[in-house]
Amino acid sequence: MTTAAPAAPLQAREPAPVREGGRLLTAALMLPASLWYLILLVLPIAIVILFSFGDRSPTGGYAGGFTFQNYATIIRSPDPFITSIMLAVLGTLLCLVVGLPLAYFIATRGGNRKALFIILLVIPFWTSFLIRTYAWIVILGPDGIGGFVADATGNRTFRILGTEAGVLIGLVYGYLPLMVFPLYVTLERIDRTLIEASKDLGAGRLASFRQITLPIALPGLITGSILVFIPMMGEYVIPEILGYGRVFTIGNSLVLRFFDARNWPAGSAQAVGLILVMFISVSFYVWFTNRGRRTRDVSVL
Amino acid sequence: MTDQEMERYARQVMRRLERTPLSRRGFMWASAMSATAAFLAACAGGGGGSAAPSTAPSAAPPASGASGEPAPQPSYATEGALFMYNWAEYIDLENIEEFKARYNIGEFTYDIYDSNEALLTKLDGGATGLYDIAAPTAEFVKVMVDKGYIVELPFDRIPNAKLVNPTFQNFYSGDDAKYNNYHIPKDWGTTGIAIRKKVVTEDVKTWKQFFEVAPKYSGRIVMVESAGDVMTAPLKALGYSLNSTDPTELNAARELLKGIAPHVLALDSNDYGDKLASEEAVMGLVWTGGVVSLRDEPATADIEYIVPEDGTLYWMDTWVQMAEAPHPEAGLAFLNFIQEPAIQAKETETNRYATANDAAKALVKPEILNDPTVFVPEEAFTRLEGAQDVSTDPLRVEIWEEFSSNIGG
Repeated sequence: MTTAAPAAPLQAREPAPVREGGRLLTAALMLPASLWYLILLVLPIAIVILFSFGDRSPTGGYAGGFTFQNYATIIRSPDPFITSIMLAVLGTLLCLVVGLPLAYFIATRGGNRKALFIILLVIPFWTSFLIRTYAWIVILGPDGIGGFVADATGNRTFRILGTEAGVLIGLVYGYLPLMVFPLYVTLERIDRTLIEASKDLGAGRLASFRQITLPIALPGLITGSILVFIPMMGEYVIPEILGYGRVFTIGNSLVLRFFDARNWPAGSAQAVGLILVMFISVSFYVWFTNRGRRTRDVSVL
Repeated sequence: MTDQEMERYARQVMRRLERTPLSRRGFMWASAMSATAAFLAACAGGGGGSAAPSTAPSAAPPASGASGEPAPQPSYATEGALFMYNWAEYIDLENIEEFKARYNIGEFTYDIYDSNEALLTKLDGGATGLYDIAAPTAEFVKVMVDKGYIVELPFDRIPNAKLVNPTFQNFYSGDDAKYNNYHIPKDWGTTGIAIRKKVVTEDVKTWKQFFEVAPKYSGRIVMVESAGDVMTAPLKALGYSLNSTDPTELNAARELLKGIAPHVLALDSNDYGDKLASEEAVMGLVWTGGVVSLRDEPATADIEYIVPEDGTLYWMDTWVQMAEAPHPEAGLAFLNFIQEPAIQAKETETNRYATANDAAKALVKPEILNDPTVFVPEEAFTRLEGAQDVSTDPLRVEIWEEFSSNIGG
């Protein structure tokens, strides 16, 4: 088939002309998604921001007003934020350390069994998060590993539950599939011939991995890290159940503010703080890993 | 299909699965399929589960329950379901079954909250139309009425409410007396010290001693997650009222709390009994119920519950009916049912909380009736102080936040 117009250069192309009806159709197609975002994302966040500047009513809840006091309180007591960030960073790193070899193995050595491995990873992930977390209480508690070590070393006060270690174990277990899936998808797509070529040129296995595989897998790494870091920052259930509330994170602090103190404005201010912290850290992370690259790969799945 | 064919088919599927390379699309499809399967399974399970009770015998006439209730039962046009919002494991399961059978209730939903503050927050967030009855602690009835969450109870339709001891029914006095029309007492108890005598050899008979002994058992102390109950300990140790809002007194209490915070294992209102049983915790600031039943087990028979000599809180839980209850008739039927002497006596025997119902008290087994932990004797009553709702006092809230965020160091 020959075209009448000359072939357009690769970089610049005229966008296809849209007819009037087409523009209306586009708007109509985008309406549900836009409404969904507006009502379920923008509006609630706007309400939370509004509440964060308000006063607490004497019987608990939100009473109007405009004050910066709630933000002053957060700046005065940043401990929950620091604990959350520490846990999230450590948790993400551990997920990476455990998830990367796993994904690499499935992608390159899986062979015919790839589907089986993926199914084995997916099925527990679809089980109730809460049940899986409670299971760890039995495994790590006085009837399980915690008690075993306590008896073996004679140290009666040894405990895994109620410490950061217990929380980290729960976090890594809960979010590992989220790290493995994007990594697996990128690693599987790697062109084997590139690695062959690098070996032909004399690079050892480690060098090949470092200079060929890793840079190509970087988008998957970024996606996985973000998918894991963000939920970990806001985690409440795992620090509460496995940490006994002693590991005091933002999630615990929010629940304390909203449920016990019934101080909605203070809780809202903390929520806004959390959103800001995550926003800044993720933006920084994406910028950091994407500098010097010609194309910005942000999403993989 | 025969077994052999099934096997052959399964093997074919496995071989097909193994052969295809897993592309992104394939993975997405697999996830979607497993998700749909899980969703359908859950739906079918849930639907099948809730369908069964509604086919329960509807022929059981209301008056057939021979529970020894002499007074004529009023009739209730029950709606066939009851949504209850309650503390965990707070009603005897057999009583629930009896209620369901007698009043033809197909769906009995039992949702749980673990503190009055959580209940209030849920209601603040708009859950009033979700539940029929709830069981707040007495001092919270006032704020629930003021916020319009609960309705005045029609006592003429709940004849068994007359059997409740007036001391408990008239919890509110003076100007607040009108709040007594909004609740029926459920049970009452104390907040006290629990210790495993096997491990803790010291005398811990007062709150003062509790704070002194605590550092020795660092990391093995459990407390209920309730601001009002926990703050009782330091205030009473210092000799103040547990409802105090005086800044000097509260700040003195704050120091005591700061001292004990690093030694606390957890703030747990649900599983403190389990923690004490497994010796994860050996000392506790607890409510009676979770601990008393442990005394009967040989492994944990050394557990002791002490009503502190320097005074403590006596709490009373009450039944209330929500303002926008979806099944008001069923709610009223339950409120009347639960106060039947035999039913109420069974409650006390199961969860070991003292009943406020005099007629039921007469039916309770003697060993429980004479148990000073459950039914506090008269002479000890002078040491008990009733709680008021001071949960919104800003200084108390601040102290509680500080304490909660610092447990474990």
